[in-house]
Amino acid sequence: MSEHNVLNGIVGYQEVWQSKAALEKTGSNFQEIKQDVQKTVERIHPKRLSLKVDRIIEETASTKTFRLVSSTGAVLPPFQAGQYINVFVDINGVATARPYAIASSPAHRHYYDLTIKRAEGGFVSHFALDQLKEEQALTSSGPMGTFHHNPLFHGEDLVFLAGGSGSVPARSMLLDILERNLPYRFHLIYVNSFEHDVIYAKELRALASTQANFTLTEVVTRPTSNSQGHKGRLTTEFLSNLVPSITDKMFYICGPTPFNESCITLLTQLGVKRRRIRVEANGAPKRPDLQQNWPEGVSLNEEVTVTVKGKGSYKTRVGEPLLNSLETHGFSTENACRSGECSLCRVKLVSGTVFNPSEAHLRKSDRKFGWIYSCVAFPTSDIEVLL
Amino acid sequence: MKHYDVVVIGAGNGGLTAAAATQRGGKTTLLLERHNIPGGCATSFVRGNFEFEVALHQLSGLGTESQPFVMRDIFNSLGVMDKVEFIQERDLYRLAVPGELDITLPASWKGLQKTLQEHFPEEEQAIVQFMDICEKVTLEGFLTLPKAKRSNNPEVLNDECAHFVKYGFRSALDVLSELFSNKKLITLISSYWNYVGVPPSQMLFSDLASMLYSYAVFKPWHIKGGSQSLSNALVESFIEAGGDVRFNCGAEKILTEAGGVTGVQLETGERVTCNAVISNASPLVTFNELLDHDQLPIKVQQDFKSRRMGTSAFVIYLGLDCTPEELGITAPSSFISSTLDWEAVSDRMEAFDSPLGGMITCYNLDDPDAAPPGKSQVALVCLQYGDVWQTVAPEEYVKTKYAFAEKLIDLIEQVYPKVRHFIEEIEVATPLTMMRYLNTPGGAIYGFKQTPEDSNLIRERLEGVNGLYSVGSWTSMGGFQPTYMAGESTARAVLKKLNQMEAQHV
Repeated sequence: MSEHNVLNGIVGYQEVWQSKAALEKTGSNFQEIKQDVQKTVERIHPKRLSLKVDRIIEETASTKTFRLVSSTGAVLPPFQAGQYINVFVDINGVATARPYAIASSPAHRHYYDLTIKRAEGGFVSHFALDQLKEEQALTSSGPMGTFHHNPLFHGEDLVFLAGGSGSVPARSMLLDILERNLPYRFHLIYVNSFEHDVIYAKELRALASTQANFTLTEVVTRPTSNSQGHKGRLTTEFLSNLVPSITDKMFYICGPTPFNESCITLLTQLGVKRRRIRVEANGAPKRPDLQQNWPEGVSLNEEVTVTVKGKGSYKTRVGEPLLNSLETHGFSTENACRSGECSLCRVKLVSGTVFNPSEAHLRKSDRKFGWIYSCVAFPTSDIEVLL
Repeated sequence: MKHYDVVVIGAGNGGLTAAAATQRGGKTTLLLERHNIPGGCATSFVRGNFEFEVALHQLSGLGTESQPFVMRDIFNSLGVMDKVEFIQERDLYRLAVPGELDITLPASWKGLQKTLQEHFPEEEQAIVQFMDICEKVTLEGFLTLPKAKRSNNPEVLNDECAHFVKYGFRSALDVLSELFSNKKLITLISSYWNYVGVPPSQMLFSDLASMLYSYAVFKPWHIKGGSQSLSNALVESFIEAGGDVRFNCGAEKILTEAGGVTGVQLETGERVTCNAVISNASPLVTFNELLDHDQLPIKVQQDFKSRRMGTSAFVIYLGLDCTPEELGITAPSSFISSTLDWEAVSDRMEAFDSPLGGMITCYNLDDPDAAPPGKSQVALVCLQYGDVWQTVAPEEYVKTKYAFAEKLIDLIEQVYPKVRHFIEEIEVATPLTMMRYLNTPGGAIYGFKQTPEDSNLIRERLEGVNGLYSVGSWTSMGGFQPTYMAGESTARAVLKKLNQMEAQHV
């Protein structure tokens, strides 16, 4: 600094200048923290995991558990019981992905167990059950999601309503509670159509008989003559008899969308506040046309043209979620929850109209400026998007 | 290979304003953002029925329609003024130190004087003098000091910047202690140190003075739909002007030849050529990691060596199943402290011990749309350095995060006792969360530590690579107004340079 700097006339200026010069003598050019941010973040929130299938366990006729380990043998990132990873696959040239909840306990970080049930009309679940082999390599996102116990407000009285493969995150939460000796009471109300669909049946029944803080209630909606457990659908009467002081509990709901919705309705009728109910997202709606504000006269099977700005165009059906059709036609965008929550698949709608279902948790200003979540957006006219 | 006049790395406030300005100024611009959403700090996220504002507590510099200030001009020139709606806050802040004081200061220059005099009648004259000094130091710093600097004439300095000369470069605590004898008044009036990240003993008086004056005269503002609205509006304006934006696409390398920028290599491996790069990444990342060579310019090294890492923050975003009234919230912005001693509060920022001070912002008090009917959107914040968090083992991280969140909620519940009871949604952000989303060393939220040595009056532009410019909190003051302004002014410098280059080629 030149001695003729007029600012030297400001009281304190020269002292600060000298003190800056002193700092320069003792300071660093920060080369030592090069890549520090990346390494620190990567330990907790890696963008991608390189995995391989270690073991495949047959759970039921329609369900398998895939034990995934790191391709390098390293421990996997920590997760909160209830969270999911998004598994990227290439099926006959179509690059796509599906989020699967982790079934194993967070205490065991050499593997993540994914329990996958064959979905009716499914694509990736069929691939997993029919084609995935031991030793096969897979890529996934890091663990994500907000469907997990939160000690800041969930309390210690937990009730999990699971439908079908909705028991997957419940298993992880249960094992977490037992292995860490957490002072929580965990009540799993597990609903299946048929008794032979019950995943983890032996393990859950054994734990229920030995662990004082775990209660298992099995419900079969289409019972045979010798089915165990409660028969029929969930009702308010059944739940209020089963769960004492029902308004003091924290509820977790995970299952097919109609199951989730009916559980919310039942609990709300029983006076449970919405803030005591956590619901896991479950993909794009199969019948968006049954939702409010669906444009009149538009049918799911109508053909529309999607143009990807500067890259090409293709024809698809109104009822096909945009992200799926983009992937089928060789386009891609980052994604993870594929249920309208995580926002990673956000793209801009340049022209045309899409239907954003109630699943789409859009920001107000995204809605205003035409940004959509492609995973749950349905093109209701010819559209152009910016990827 | 595609060519752009300008590549902007990072869509934070500085990057967004810079990109909108260069594209609208006629230069083809590519805007790169690693995340799926623009804004950096100026963003929001959705949980359940709530959309949470991430970082904006009080926007300064806007002024009212009848008394507009600099940000209105800038937003107008960037084409976003008609795309967003601003919500005026009625108060500056409430400071509650349980058992010691609980005072709410209005967002009005006259009202501020009146409120201070009511609570501290024995300091009546000193308050008048203090406010006069604040006003003059601010106006001189803004209007006449740049003139004195340009003229390099001591007479101009002494004649036109007399108050700045006397008070501007001393510490806030030094000046306040000279003017006031009541310790409570000093604590009350220096609460805004939280927006700078260093306690009153380490911050420039001129920074405190200009914050108080600007917020009281030009009012504090929120944005309808949150700061994300403004970030989205800037992207919209940029796209309308023909700009290219790529989300989920970071910059891998800044390419150079013979000491000048030639292009950028993207995360995807693609390369583009350009004449200028405006980096909204921390200069530590820009120069130490993104540059394609290791010969860090001497001037930049010297600058780095005289800097110290700034603070990060620990934030709890709360969606509450109750109205602000049920919680007892009467002012949108409150500072809460268990001590009158801000220095003690600041000392805690390096540790996991219970925070001694924090702030709480309730967004739907002045804007009912900021939460679903009958509910509240609230953010709890305490400043904290990132270092301690980097020592936490990955498997201990979540436990540590919840444990510290309990401590911050305990502090806030000293004043608003029912917070825990009403939680419907919650998200906790630690300094590591800031690292993840801002890509800043230490998870710093205001850039380098903003001690007097960090002042722009002591610093020069980071030079050494032709065509490479830095914008953001690291090379200007931290916060919304300074980073928006830095982006806009840097874009003007870039436009000037590129236009000169073109003129030479004609």
